[in-house]
Order: sequence, then structure tokens, then C-alpha cells
Amino acid sequence: MAMVSDERALAKYKDEDMIMSPLLYLVGQGDRLTPEEATEVFFSVTKLFQANQPSLRRLVYLAIKELAHTAEEVIIVTNCLTKDINSDVDMYRANATRVLCKITDAQMVQQIERYLKQEIVDKNPVVASAALVSGQQLIMHNKGDVVRRWVNEVTQALDHKSPMVQYHALALLYLIKQHDRLAVSKLVQSMCQQGARSPMATVLLVRYVARILSEEVTEGTEYKDMPFFGFLEHCLRHRSDIVMYEAARAIALLPNVSPAELQPAVSVLQRFLVQSRPAVRFAAIRTLSMIASSMPLAVTSCNADMEVLISDPNRSIATLAITTLLRTGSENSIERLLKQIQNFLCEISDEFKVKIVVAIHALCIKYPSKYYALMNFLGNALREEGGYEFKRAIVEAYLGLMNKIPESKETCLSHLCEFIEDCEHAQLSTRVLHLLGKEGPHMPEPGKYIRYIYNRLILENAVVRAAAVSALASFAAESASESLRKSVAILLRQSLMDSDDEVRDRAVFFSQKLGLEAYQKKATAPPGPEEVAELQEDTKQGMNIPCPVPNLEVELTRYLSSGIFDTPFDMTKVSKAALVTSKDSEVSARNESLFGDSTGPDAGLGVSAKAQVDLAEEVMATPEFSSFGRPFKSCPPKDLTEAETEYTAKVIVHLYEAHVILEFICVNTLNDQLLEDVFIQVDTSDVSGLGGMTIVPAPRLAYGEPSRSYVCIDRTEVDEYPLGQLACTMKFSVKDMDPTTGEADEEGYEDEYGLDDLELDVATLMAKPGELPSSFKSAWEALGPDNEVADSFMLEQHDSISSAVTAVMDLLGMTACDGTDNVNDRARGHILLLTGVFVPGVQVMVHAKFVLTSECVALELVLRSELHAVSELLANSISGSD
Amino acid sequence: MFSQLWQNILEWLQNLFFQQEMELTILGLQNAGKTTLVNLISTGDFTDDRIPTVGFNMRRVQKGGVTLKMWDLGGQARFRTMWERYCRGVSAVVFVIDAADYDRFDTARLELQDILSRRALDGIPVLVLANKSDLPGAVKDIDEIINTFGLTEINNHEVSVYSISAKNRVNIDVTLQWLIDHGSKKTSASTAAAVVNPALHNSQQSTPAQSASAAPTTSTETPPSTS
Repeated sequence: MAMVSDERALAKYKDEDMIMSPLLYLVGQGDRLTPEEATEVFFSVTKLFQANQPSLRRLVYLAIKELAHTAEEVIIVTNCLTKDINSDVDMYRANATRVLCKITDAQMVQQIERYLKQEIVDKNPVVASAALVSGQQLIMHNKGDVVRRWVNEVTQALDHKSPMVQYHALALLYLIKQHDRLAVSKLVQSMCQQGARSPMATVLLVRYVARILSEEVTEGTEYKDMPFFGFLEHCLRHRSDIVMYEAARAIALLPNVSPAELQPAVSVLQRFLVQSRPAVRFAAIRTLSMIASSMPLAVTSCNADMEVLISDPNRSIATLAITTLLRTGSENSIERLLKQIQNFLCEISDEFKVKIVVAIHALCIKYPSKYYALMNFLGNALREEGGYEFKRAIVEAYLGLMNKIPESKETCLSHLCEFIEDCEHAQLSTRVLHLLGKEGPHMPEPGKYIRYIYNRLILENAVVRAAAVSALASFAAESASESLRKSVAILLRQSLMDSDDEVRDRAVFFSQKLGLEAYQKKATAPPGPEEVAELQEDTKQGMNIPCPVPNLEVELTRYLSSGIFDTPFDMTKVSKAALVTSKDSEVSARNESLFGDSTGPDAGLGVSAKAQVDLAEEVMATPEFSSFGRPFKSCPPKDLTEAETEYTAKVIVHLYEAHVILEFICVNTLNDQLLEDVFIQVDTSDVSGLGGMTIVPAPRLAYGEPSRSYVCIDRTEVDEYPLGQLACTMKFSVKDMDPTTGEADEEGYEDEYGLDDLELDVATLMAKPGELPSSFKSAWEALGPDNEVADSFMLEQHDSISSAVTAVMDLLGMTACDGTDNVNDRARGHILLLTGVFVPGVQVMVHAKFVLTSECVALELVLRSELHAVSELLANSISGSD
Repeated sequence: MFSQLWQNILEWLQNLFFQQEMELTILGLQNAGKTTLVNLISTGDFTDDRIPTVGFNMRRVQKGGVTLKMWDLGGQARFRTMWERYCRGVSAVVFVIDAADYDRFDTARLELQDILSRRALDGIPVLVLANKSDLPGAVKDIDEIINTFGLTEINNHEVSVYSISAKNRVNIDVTLQWLIDHGSKKTSASTAAAVVNPALHNSQQSTPAQSASAAPTTSTETPPSTS
């Protein structure tokens, strides 16, 4: 930033270009000036308005544009720029327009509107384009109310003889009309007929057409029958590359496009694959890879061309070619492909390696019979050099595969064992160790895993050692074999003297719990088999905390931070339902994007889990409700309005044993209004089991700041479940406000705003259990047939098992066990195992059998729960919805 | 390329032998008549322009062998904080007052004192112009202006006062003369020494403002000039 000190030299404007150019370069390179520096430089630059050399003036414009965001008081140049807009030098006019629109505010725009309108219809293309682009900028930065009145001028500019002006005019005209569907349709139609001169304008047109098509398409209609589709097909034969590409991409992205419609687009892309320009090849392969994720068959015709691309000098193209081929290739080409990937795996960056791993994982699930070859590939990849993300992706892939393909478990585990022998990421080691502890004891030869775990115990750092101790102990806890218990005991003996507290504590805890001390001391006789069984049972109980660990953690933190320790912490009060956190949903979304069948080439990368946000945090911090404790369940936020309305409202439903609290998060999107005393009136007349209401209004709802208002409804009976529609109306007093000064009128008036109904259904009342039972069968047996309800249904609106399964899961809001939510597409029958916790803590399990008949799906449902009424209610809810 | 070079050499020669450059900053509350004055000086025409200046105007004019570079700054409150930046290092500051706007005399006085109290501007000569003397009720008496605006209390600057009317072109010529004198003086003085003992100088107006042949007296350093 030595430049900044030199900036004073600007005042003597002799060597200005020499100073300005490096300065602009610095700013362009991403060097940030502090606001003070920027302001200082800015004012020095403004002094250069005294010079009249075009090249210097251009630098001045550039500098102002770059500094506009950081410097203060940039408004000072308004007058100078307005003068330049009116000058007779076209270069000044165009540049001054762009800069002025950048620094101006909504009010000032009205003063310069006259000039801008004139410029739009100017003969000089540079000037006209500058005004059009500035108009777009104004709209995008919400300063564009005046721009909407320019339709006539912009339409006139559409006929300008310069292609560039036409392009910019089309873009602006679309921006102006974008919310008026009919107007857009008319505009696009007339442009399609007339044809655009500039390829860029045609590209825009293709995008608009695609948007219209995907909005207007209804079920049953083919794109072929829609008039606009012809335009896209026509563009596929355009003489310009970008138009052809854009049209192909647009067709590929249309929702539910049929293979026949897709075919011409694919063949255009196929021709691009052999083009000499890398950018064209990249664009084509990227789009093909996207198509392949949903319709692999449509792309198979390009396989030969794509195989050539594997040796492309550009590694991005090569990687995309590989991942696409992995999707489109037939089962017997897999081995050959794998060999080719192996050759260049070490040459590409981690980011691409992760993509390949994800693709392989998807492939494994598609062709389970090939899992052995693919696993070996992953195993080799594990041994390669690579960063944490890459290794993590592989471990995740292994975990995913073990769940989906049970027979692969043993291979998976042995690969992972090998991996932790030489793993530099403690996080991954502990994860694998935990997995070994969970799965290892049930494997045919548990003994062989113990060696790997023990090695960790000697060689690793404390975190991994602690995990290893736990893993070893679980072998002793699960296994019935006397000799195995004995060897574990001996192995644990050395950890009893470990230098790390955590490791030692764990070793001591497990040794005592499992009765292993006897082996360790050798003095007393080891416990007999019956005692062992009892001890094991005990330990399992001990290890099984009666509530999910994250809940316990949250509650303990709350207890400790409350500072009131009169009553001891009560573990039974911790909610058994899984905490619904936004991280939760994000993680699952991420897993889906990583491993779902719909995996796009770049999906799942760059998605980072945000900090865990507890949905119930706000309500528990509200003084009125803090005494209620933690809710049984908090539902994820649900919109009660469309996205683009005057006011938007979201609701989070918090369920308690005796109350339902509705947390409304309202946003005022009008900058000229201030709302006060905002509350939501809820009509509970349609819902049984609800009584008195307490309303906590939001005192103030300023523009753009979300505010919370609460409605707490008492439940009259614990076993009367609140189900039905709640009509919601937002009530408030409005004060008009001057958006620029932020001053509100004294007097307000009452108003109300209708919101969508809030539906409380069975799924609302059902929470996810904190931990899934390790075996559905034993949990099912444990629940017993006392409150069992069995029923059978015909699900007439479903024609496939998978849609019926999803519908039943959505309806009940329950969670699938043992991976039974994965349905084979061609399956004729399926068994779905569900578990859930019903308010206020009733365990529910469902055994559902689906059979595909000729017309519909038959469902045989068996429900077990801790309360008969709940079983009845749930069974009725299915028949009610059907 | 070559012609550019030639141009530069010419300019340099001109500067060396014939021309003096002076930079002026024109301040004052909004609607005092700053932009009108600048237009009058540069084009010689009076235009009743009522568009407020947003930011500043930059004008270059040649008068009597001196090139005047005039920074005409916006007078609205939000621009006043920026005045100082354009006053540093100029040859003179011109402060324009609407002589008929009694209500804002106080504001104008405070702004004037504020800007002149900045250390960075010490020693820069100041010309206070009580504009709009053509309006009925305008203050034309120089002593009254000196008192109202507390000009005697300013001691780091050479201060001169004229009562002018841009509309009727009263005293515009003496104003210009003052500016030209200070432009040439500043450059010559800079070779000698800084103003050692800045004192208050006010020009007394002997004849009523309406008469175009006013003969103001100026500082002791510049002998009184008559036009």
C-alpha cells in the first residue's frame, strides 16, 4: 500500500497515468483499501477533473467506479459527471453514464433520468449501450423504479443497427418485464419471429424461452407441441457456437424432457466434443455429464468420443469425461475404465478426485455385482496421496456402501483397517475405529480387527488411543467368546497406565464395567459365563444413555449456564426426540447430494455444514416460555406466505406436553412502512384439543429485519391430539415511513394481512428418534404386540412402490430403519420399517409391506406403540388421507 | 505522439513566460450564487440557474494573463464537510454570502469561521463577497457585514470584502482584479516568504453599491486599485 502515500502526487497531475494505472491494478487484484485510504485517494482523483485529456479522464472514471464502494461521499462527483453526460465527446458521455449510475441513489436517478432516456436512443452504439447497461445495474441494485418507465425508449433501441445495443436492450427489456409473464411471452415471441442480429442476444432469447417452457409445461404435454420449442430446435442449427451450445443446454435442462426431444441436443454436444477449442469441449462435456446424471441412456451414443477425451491435456475435461463415462458405461466396461482412471488419478487435484470417488460410489450402488472391483479401486485410492477432503470422501463412500450392500461389509472393513494403519487424519481414524467397534464383533472373524485396533493403541496420539480403547471394549462387551474377552482384557491393561487422562479413564471404566479386572490381575478367578452375560447387559445399558447424546449435551450446557443448581440434573427430562437443527437438515441434504442417484458432477462440493443452529433456541430464550423447558419437538420453519409478498411469515411449531407454541418469524419487505404490535391471530376452532391462548406480539417490525411473535396455545387433554387446520391472520398497526430518512409518521393505522393456513398433521406431532435402534427386530419385539393395530389399504394414486413408500413416510413423518427406505425401481414388493416418537414421547414402530398390483399399490400395515390410542390414530390417518 | 510532445513543450514555454495559474475555491451556503458567479466570470453572461450543485463544478478561465481554476463547491449541508479537501493549497478562497438572506447569516458565519479555523488553510487569502446587493433589503454596508460575520476576529488570513451583484454586474470587475492580483502575487510571494504577519484587510466601499464605478481599497500589500 505504498501507493497510497504517493497518491498526493496526483494533485500535480503531470505523471497521473503512471500513478493511476498501478493503483487501479492493485484494486483490481483484490487489494482492499480501507475506507479512509479510499476516500483520500478518491478526493485526490476528483481533482483531476480539471484536466481535459481523454485518456486521463478515462482513468478518472475507472478509479471512481472502483472506489465507489469503499470511499465515502462519492456523491460529490455527481455534478461533474452530469456535465460530462451532456458533453459532446461520446467517450465521456458513455463512461460518465456508467459511473454516475454506479454512485447515485434512487432519488438522484430521477434527476438524471432525462439524460439517460436520451442516451438510450442515441445513434452512437457505445453511448446507447452504456445507458442500457446502467439501467440494468439500477434495477439490480433496487434503484430502478424509474427504469420501468423507459419501455418505449428501450423498445426503440431494440431496432438499433448495432448488435451490441440490441443485446443490451433485450436484456434490459426483459428485466423490466420479468414479473409480467404475459409481457415476457409477447416480447420473446416477437423477437423469435424477427430474429436477433447478435448471437449474444440470441443466447439471451434461448434462456428466456427455456424459462417460459419450463414454467408453462404441464403434465402430459410434450415440449414438441409447444410453439417455443421449435425456436430452440432452430437455434441448434444456428451458425454461432454459443447459440448452438446454449440451445442444447437449455433443452437438456428442461424438466422431464423426453429422450426423443433430447436427441438433437446431444448430437450437437457430441460434435462439440471434438472441437479444437478447450472451452467448447469443456462446456459440452460438462453439459453431457449433467444429462448423464439423470438420463445416462441418452448420452451413451457419445461414449466413444468421451473415451478419447480421457487423455485430453486439460484435466478438467478429462475428469468430467471419466465421471460421465462411469455413469453411462455399461457394466462390462467398468474394469477398463477403472484402469484408465488409475493412470491419471495422481495427476489431478483433490477436488476432481472427490468427484471421481462420488461417481464410483454411485456406480457401486448401480451395479452391486461389481462392488469388488470398485472397492479395490477405492482401496488403492486410499493409499494414494491426498488431502483430508479426498480421504473423507472415500471413507464416506465406504460407509455408504456398507449400508447399501451388506455383503461388502467385510471387504470394506478390511480396506478401512488398512487405511488407519497409515492415516494422518485423527478425525478419520476415530471414525473408522468407532465403526470397527460397532461392526467388528458381528463379523465372522472378530479377532483379526483387534490387531489393527491394538496397533492404534500403541502408535497413535491420545484422541485416537481413546477411540481405540472404546472400540476394543465393545468387542469385549459384544462377544461371548471367553478367549476374546481375555485378550481384550490383556490389551487394555497397558492403557490403564496411559499418560492421557481420557484414555486412562475409558480403560478403567470399561475394565470395571465388563469385569475384565479379573483377567488383568490374574489373582481372582474370572467371572463365570452367566455373570459375564449380566455384566455385558449392564454395560450395554450403561453405554446406552436413555436419551440421545446431542440432546443431553444441549441440556447439560443449559443447566450449567443457568447457574441454578438447587435441583440436580434430571436425565429423564431430556427429550428423546432428535433435536431438529438446521445442521441436521443440511447434513442430510448434503449426503443426498453426495450420494444420491441424482448426483450432479459438481453437486456436494463446496457445501459446507453451517454452524449448528438450534431451532428451539429462540423460544427457550423468550422469558414468557423459558419455564417450559425444551420442547418435545420443534418443526423446521414453514412458509405461510409466497416468497415475494409485502410481508413474509414463517412458522416454527414447538410441541410441548401441555402446550403448542407457534413461533412466527415475520419480515416486512416494504421499506416505506414500519409495523408495530405485530401478532398473529390463530383460529383454533377447527382443531380439537386446544384451549386458551397467550399471545406475545412483536413490538416492532422494521423493514428487512425479521421479528418474532409467539402464540402459545394450551392443550386441554394430553391424549387429545391437535390435528387440523389453523387459520392465521397477521394483525398490526402500520406507520408510513420515509425510506430515505427512516422517520416514521406519528399516527399509525390498524391493518391485517391474511396468511396461509397452518396444517397440524400427524407428521407434525411425530419426532425423529434420537438414535435409531441398532436392530429393528429386537426393538419391535421389545415393544410387544399389546397396542398393535393392523390394517390393509389400497393406495390407488400410486403406480410405483417407491412413490408409495415416500408418501407413507411423509404422511407419518417417521424415520426408516435398516435402510429400508431404499426401494429398487423395479421391485414388485417391499418391506418398510419405520420408527418414530409421537408427542409427548410415545415410541411408535411400523412394519409396512407394499405389493405392486396391476392398478395400484397394496399396503399391509402393522403398527406398534406404547399407547393404543396412538396406534389407532396413526392407522386412521392413512385411511383418512387415502 | 510527436505532436503531443510538441504541444507539451509549447505549454511549458507559455507557462514559463506568459502565464500564471491560480486555483480558487468558491464556498458559501446553498443559493448564495456561487455557480452563477462562476458562470458569469467564465462566460460573461448572467444565467439565472436554479439547479443546486451536487458535488462540485470545475471551471478553467483565462483572465488577464492568469488562468483561473475555479472549484465551485456545492453549498448544501452534506457537502460542507468536504469543503476543506478542496481548499488545501489553493491561491485564494472566495466565500459568497446571500446578502438578503438574514435568516441564515448566522449559519454562514459559523461555516466561514469553521473552515478558516483549519490549520491546513492558514495564510490563504480570503475574499468575502456579499452577493445579491440588487435585492431590496440586502445588506450593502461593508462595516455591517464585517461586524455581522465577525471578520475582524479572523487572524490567520488576509480577508477582503466586497458587496457585489452578479445580476447587475456590480463590482464584478474589482472582484476579478482582486483575484488576478492575488493569483500573480501568490506565485511571486511563494518565492519570497510566507505571509508573516497576516492582518485583517477590508475594502471599504466609498460609493453606493449600485454605482458600477466602485473604488474599493484592499490590503496594504497590494496598493489600492481603482478601475
